[in-house]
Amino acid sequence: MSESELGRKWDRCLADAVVKIGTGFGLGIVFSLTFFKRRMWPLAFGSGMGLGMAYSNCQHDFQAPYLLHGKYVKEQEQ
Amino acid sequence: MRSECVLGATSDSGQEAPRDTWFLQGWKASRRFLIKGSVAGGAVYLVYDQELLGPSDKSQAALQKAGEVVPPAMYQFSQYVCQQTGLQIPQLPAPPKIYFPIRDSWNAGIMMVMSALSVAPSKAREYSKEGWEYVKARTK
Repeated sequence: MSESELGRKWDRCLADAVVKIGTGFGLGIVFSLTFFKRRMWPLAFGSGMGLGMAYSNCQHDFQAPYLLHGKYVKEQEQ
Repeated sequence: MRSECVLGATSDSGQEAPRDTWFLQGWKASRRFLIKGSVAGGAVYLVYDQELLGPSDKSQAALQKAGEVVPPAMYQFSQYVCQQTGLQIPQLPAPPKIYFPIRDSWNAGIMMVMSALSVAPSKAREYSKEGWEYVKARTK
């Protein structure tokens, strides 16, 4: 794995971690306010879930070095 | 004297509560649950629709999209607030652009530390030998 590819993977991992932890935290806030009487545990649970999912994604990304990340490109009708 | 168990809710005066209040309380509780359920369900659907908890590619794309959309939206909102309230927010000077390549400096630091650790035994032997020669020369 080249250094640039490694750097891209780390960037993807960090961005993924930020998004997943933020999403888990946000969902925890929503559920805490609506159903769980403003307790703290839904926030901790959501953040922990997001962190775990991000860690799992990163681990899979680093352990599968030959997996290519592609993008969908729409076909232009002629 | 035994107390009898009587079915039906009674108030302090001993009269049974009317069924209309039960219906109203039930209606209020169900309405509250519907509102909370719709808010929570909407949040979950938004997360599912934007694929925020999906693969890392989608999360990175969502973060990039948010980085492009949020600053102009914040600027427009501040302009709208200024127009409505008549306040003038002073324009702050642009922050200085500092170029500090964290990755390069971290890599250089790691390489420096590792090379120092690798030559440490030979350097220590060399310096101790020089020190010993110096002390021997002084004591003669």
